[in-house]
Amino acid sequence: MQLKISEYLKSEAIMMEIKAKEKLAAIDELVAHMVKSKLVTDGKELIKALAKRENLESTGIGDGIAIPHARTNAVKDLLLAFARSPQGIDFSSIDGKPSYIIFLIASPENQKSEYIMALAKLSRLLRKHPVREMLRNAKEPAEIMKIIKENEE
Amino acid sequence: MLVSDTDQTILSTAVQFSKSCGSKLFVLFVIEPSRISRLASISHQKVKVVYDRTEENGWQLLYLVEDEAVENGVWTSLHLEEGNMLEILKRYIDTYRIDALLIKRKDESKKIFVSSPIPVIGL
Repeated sequence: MQLKISEYLKSEAIMMEIKAKEKLAAIDELVAHMVKSKLVTDGKELIKALAKRENLESTGIGDGIAIPHARTNAVKDLLLAFARSPQGIDFSSIDGKPSYIIFLIASPENQKSEYIMALAKLSRLLRKHPVREMLRNAKEPAEIMKIIKENEE
Repeated sequence: MLVSDTDQTILSTAVQFSKSCGSKLFVLFVIEPSRISRLASISHQKVKVVYDRTEENGWQLLYLVEDEAVENGVWTSLHLEEGNMLEILKRYIDTYRIDALLIKRKDESKKIFVSSPIPVIGL
């Protein structure tokens, strides 16, 4: 099955600058933005699922990237969101460095294969240094979406 | 620490083992360039094609383990590295104070059993 992550990231799920300074506050802020954009109906349940996972692992994958994620019926379909933190946030990354780029992935409980595939594709994409640099320097949501679309395989 | 290849059969055992021991589970997938070249040569495919497929399979495997671990309340840390398996293992054992290695038992893993300074459990 071919899955394109660009098809699941909507411009209204992109925050070019997040204000939060620590990881759970960042997740709260991003989810609140998604609720405001009507992408998520049950924000509280989504936050609960994401926080549960954050307590059991580090979703900071290193190189300034964090991918908080969860399977929960708080969302109706696979959903991606993006946020950027100018000062960086401590996501307990494996390299000990702060995360400047945050991708949130959520999917319903019954979409496990799509969810795993999206996580794998995103992790692969973000291993590429030029992609990370472009995402950090992008000026607007449309640019973020273009970078992902042009660089995913 | 679970040292993973693309075989999914040992994942549940590794998670249950960590749960019963109350251990943290580090999951490591190593892409070995020499192995990629060999596979590409045998299958008459481009190295990049084999590399990309291996990397994607690796990430999927890591997230599958993590998903099961979270359901079982097991703390996990996911790692994908590229290089020589034995050298990377040595670095991980030193850096993260790993107590034991869990690996799939097969011919290619013999070198790990022989050279590891910590206990190796073949699954």
